[in-house]
Amino acid sequence: MFEVVEALLSSTLEYYPALVFAALGATLSERSGITNVGIEGMMRTGAFCAALAAITLPTPVAVLVGMLAGAGIAAVHGALSIHWRADQVVSGMALNLVALAGGTYLLEALYGPNGTPPIQQLPRWHVPGLSELPLLRAFSGHTALTWLALVLPLAFHWLFYRTPLGLRLRAVGEKPHAVATLGLSVQGLRWMAVLGGGMLAGLGGAALSTAVLDRFEQHTPAGLGYMALAATVFGRWTPLGALLAGLFFAAGSALRIGLASSAPGIIEIIPQGFLLALPYLLTLVLLAVQGRRTHAPAALGTPYEQESR
Amino acid sequence: MGERLRTILPSILSVLLALAVCWCFIALTRDARIASEAYLQMLRGGIGDWGAYLDGGRVTLLTRPWGEAAIKASLLLLTGLSVTVAFKVGLFNIGAQGQMLMGALAAAVVGAQVELPTVLHVIAALLGAAVAGGLWALIAAWLKLARGVHEVISTIMLNWVAVSLVDNWLVVGPLRAGAGTTLNTTGTAEIHATAHLPRLLGDLSRLHLGFPLALAVALGLWVWLARLRTGFETRAVGLGPEAARAAGIPVTRRTAEAMGLAGALAGLAGAVLVLGTEFRYPGTLGAPYGFDGIAISLIGGNHPLGVTLSALFFGVLRAGGTRMQLLGVHKTYPELIQGLALLFVAGRQVWLTLLSARKRPPEAPAEPQPVPEAAPQPAQRPEVPRV
Repeated sequence: MFEVVEALLSSTLEYYPALVFAALGATLSERSGITNVGIEGMMRTGAFCAALAAITLPTPVAVLVGMLAGAGIAAVHGALSIHWRADQVVSGMALNLVALAGGTYLLEALYGPNGTPPIQQLPRWHVPGLSELPLLRAFSGHTALTWLALVLPLAFHWLFYRTPLGLRLRAVGEKPHAVATLGLSVQGLRWMAVLGGGMLAGLGGAALSTAVLDRFEQHTPAGLGYMALAATVFGRWTPLGALLAGLFFAAGSALRIGLASSAPGIIEIIPQGFLLALPYLLTLVLLAVQGRRTHAPAALGTPYEQESR
Repeated sequence: MGERLRTILPSILSVLLALAVCWCFIALTRDARIASEAYLQMLRGGIGDWGAYLDGGRVTLLTRPWGEAAIKASLLLLTGLSVTVAFKVGLFNIGAQGQMLMGALAAAVVGAQVELPTVLHVIAALLGAAVAGGLWALIAAWLKLARGVHEVISTIMLNWVAVSLVDNWLVVGPLRAGAGTTLNTTGTAEIHATAHLPRLLGDLSRLHLGFPLALAVALGLWVWLARLRTGFETRAVGLGPEAARAAGIPVTRRTAEAMGLAGALAGLAGAVLVLGTEFRYPGTLGAPYGFDGIAISLIGGNHPLGVTLSALFFGVLRAGGTRMQLLGVHKTYPELIQGLALLFVAGRQVWLTLLSARKRPPEAPAEPQPVPEAAPQPAQRPEVPRV
């Protein structure tokens, strides 16, 4: 029994950083009022560029490259949504399509269809003494990203609710005109949030290709960006909510993968389909129950126009 | 600049720019000769290898590519129209993928499990698919109208619920061909021959009835939106729900109807895929035609005729994509062109600014001012409600 729980816990800890980083990125961007359905594309770009960079550079540096790549995609989204007042959902979906097809082409052109050559994974931290203890053993042998994914949401919680900048970021997503009245730049704040969100999504992608796997595969991130979006909504657009929802969904995925590998068989297929659908079903149910008392930022998705009042 | 031109020009320029950028992309990663050759192959695969045909080749050199292009175009057209109809009431249907999945599943089940004479069987399978897709979309409509849940979020979630339940449970579990036996096949049971969409050119190409069907649907939608009362009311809801309500239009009903119709169209796309070319629900319905529908609809300016043109154009490119493989360019390359074109369409304001800047004196301000809208465009969504 212990072994099973241990394996599930370990698998969850392996799997959740990518989800939490991406959900945190979406939370940051959407709290400033810019809808972000392009998370999937940003993750894919981050994963791809990190894997590419890791072939020649040390892996931690490659992760930074992945973050910058995510920010690069986010910059396009920002330019269209903030500056050109484009439809934010259209822009995000377009970026998803471009990242999907572009990544496929580049992978084929550079390395053939089977993915990049294996790279050096991020170093794993084996906690001395933990490996003898049952259950706690699961916390040993993970990369730094596993721990960063616990710390970052707390840091963002502090930023959002304890600093003037956080107040402004939240205000710009609720009532941008009020922020403009104070002489602050609505555009500037939103740019910051969108680029930061892109960096986090890129980090989530990089976590996939440098910590979970050791390469970029054709299907990365295989819908994880949309699951991160579900985690954002499920976590009520808060950093801690993103962390908890990400952990919860990752545990569900770990359970599914664990079931599939430990007890393959026709009986297991049904729970697997349902477990896969679970994050999305739960999010739908939550939204349906909440109804109009949603926690979404008030100005989410509306382009800001200085003249309109 | 005329209003119509202002509506159409950004789309055309976007597609051209996407074609140019993607050509440069291959030229940079390979070389210019390969890029041009790949584009030529893409055209040959979509509109026929005219050179070889005129040199005395067989007629299949033309009809095969036409068939492939028509198959792709009919799928893109139906999912594109699905997104268009939802846009007409101001809803953004990102759920065409899930609705299409449901439709494909219904068509596969009706086609394989029911015994009917030829014509009736096809009609029954198509209807089943339309109903399944429509119901799936109505979930999102209900969430929107009754619970105020933003349709973008709900349709994204519903997509993944559909994928999980259909692709990862039903199709590999209870509905798998030979379920309960030791047969190891992928996908559902083969549909009966009576449920096949008839081929129009016999053995000359895979062109089947789905293509004229999709065109007829587009034409019907155009007539409905432009000429009939309910169509007008539907558009009125999208242009201004409050004004429509004041004018006595049943806004809630029209919204639900439009979303249901959008789902039905996406479901039809699934049926055309299953009854026309796959003849079963394949292991996974991998191709994201539902997401393509968003691109096709917006590039086509959310107008049935524009969507038809954009579906035909990208159908040709997508059919030709397979021939790019010969040069080591991945067959999904046309999807990149499509995605970029959508991205450029999203930057409509950029185009309009550039187009009006040409008429300005050269000392234009460094900070381009957004152009005042001359007239409300049908392509624009009303203000997004809260999520």
